[in-house]
Amino acid sequence: MTKHGALPLAACLVLTLLMAADVGAQTTPAAPAAPPPERTTAISGYMDFHFNKQEFADGRLDFHRFVLLITHRFSDRIRFVSELELEHALVEGLEEAGELELEQAYVDFLLSRRFNVRAGMMLVPVGIINERHEPPTYYGVERPFVDTVIVPTTWFEVGAGVHGELGRGWRYRAYVMSPLNAREFSAEEGLSGGRQKGSDTNIGRPAVTGRLEYVGVPGLTVGASFWTGRSGFEFRPRFDVPVKLGEADVRYSRDRLELRGQFAQVAISNAGLLNDAMGRAVGVDPNVASALRGFYGEAGYRVISGASYGDVGLFARYENFDTQFKMPTDYLPLKELDRDALVFGATYWPDPDIALKVDYANVRSRNSTIREPNSFNIGLGWWL
Amino acid sequence: MKYVLLGILAVCAGATVAMAVQQKPQVVEIFVERFSFTPSEFRVKAGAPVEIRLRSDDTDHGFRIVGTDVNVTIPKRGKGVATVTFVPPEPGKYVFECSKLCGAGHSFMRGTLIAE
Repeated sequence: MTKHGALPLAACLVLTLLMAADVGAQTTPAAPAAPPPERTTAISGYMDFHFNKQEFADGRLDFHRFVLLITHRFSDRIRFVSELELEHALVEGLEEAGELELEQAYVDFLLSRRFNVRAGMMLVPVGIINERHEPPTYYGVERPFVDTVIVPTTWFEVGAGVHGELGRGWRYRAYVMSPLNAREFSAEEGLSGGRQKGSDTNIGRPAVTGRLEYVGVPGLTVGASFWTGRSGFEFRPRFDVPVKLGEADVRYSRDRLELRGQFAQVAISNAGLLNDAMGRAVGVDPNVASALRGFYGEAGYRVISGASYGDVGLFARYENFDTQFKMPTDYLPLKELDRDALVFGATYWPDPDIALKVDYANVRSRNSTIREPNSFNIGLGWWL
Repeated sequence: MKYVLLGILAVCAGATVAMAVQQKPQVVEIFVERFSFTPSEFRVKAGAPVEIRLRSDDTDHGFRIVGTDVNVTIPKRGKGVATVTFVPPEPGKYVFECSKLCGAGHSFMRGTLIAE
């Protein structure tokens, strides 16, 4: 970060520390029998393992995620939250073999209902899945395709920001974070490779992200999010690759029914310059698009609810996702990356924190000669 | 004498009914899920009991009113309702929060009880 950018942030953090240092009760006035502020540490986590069988390929059994959450309450006003994830059970130094990721590690300074400050490694507040990804909370063995190639979940970065409730069910968060690295963008997976993941990040020009959310009706969550940042910092001579993401989502559950939908679009400016520069650097033009777009709608219904042996739900989800939605001048889109999918299946919850899932994903692309493989999936996930 | 006794009994019965009506707690029902309380803000009368009924739509959560000894576990979906009776001693704002680690967004689960 530039000197001019770092000073206000540092001043803000110091002021926050001073304000949060008063560890008195937040109730006004204090109620009787108030116990002293507790200093407590909590550990929990979730796990997720999958069987995936794609057409024309052997089945794969993968312990996809092993996640530990550790939190600590220093006082009623200062908290620490962390989330450490081991992906694919093994780390060999190559991402394909597995990843050990620090997805969250921040300190939260709770100043008031409307205004609180946090700093550290944080989840980017975009979409449904990125901040709410415990396996029993969503239908389907794998996360939605839109939440993989358009919104690159799990998306986390280092930074600082504010959050709070505005009243009448409205709440917000707004963070300044490390930007994406455009050098790692790709035609097939969009922004996903560009996440710096908090590892010695370049923050010459910080990105800004935020979310406004309404949770004022039981079971209903409506949200809108954005991300904007400049991502061309690795190129010499330097040129800008501004990236903007806009997203809107809705989720509603009532008794046995759950509905959700999400729309996300990404704009990558100067994608033509980016492709030229990457082509010169590695010898292959990556064909990165100037816009990516995806949306999905999902309906789930618990056909068995409240039985002594648990709940059973059925679901269907339609997704449309195109990582070549708009191309820079003189570039043609790869039609096989304009895809849609129908995913349907069932979830059995023997306990609300355990989910046994089975689904079938029928994926199609606009390219008639390259066929996307369909897949049959089984998953077991749980929350501790 | 009989009429005097009947009169005293009638007065006592009336007072008891009046007290019962007066002490009948206000009831607030809260829907709980990862990662919100709905409603997350509600108003009650100071000095009067409020009965807070909390039902979870997913995992078990906690309900703690900061600065008081109120701290209960909200059972998992389909396992019942947690009920808390609380008497706000004075007008003011009482912050409540989830006191059981429930997921990645656990720290967002906060709300305010306003006693007037």
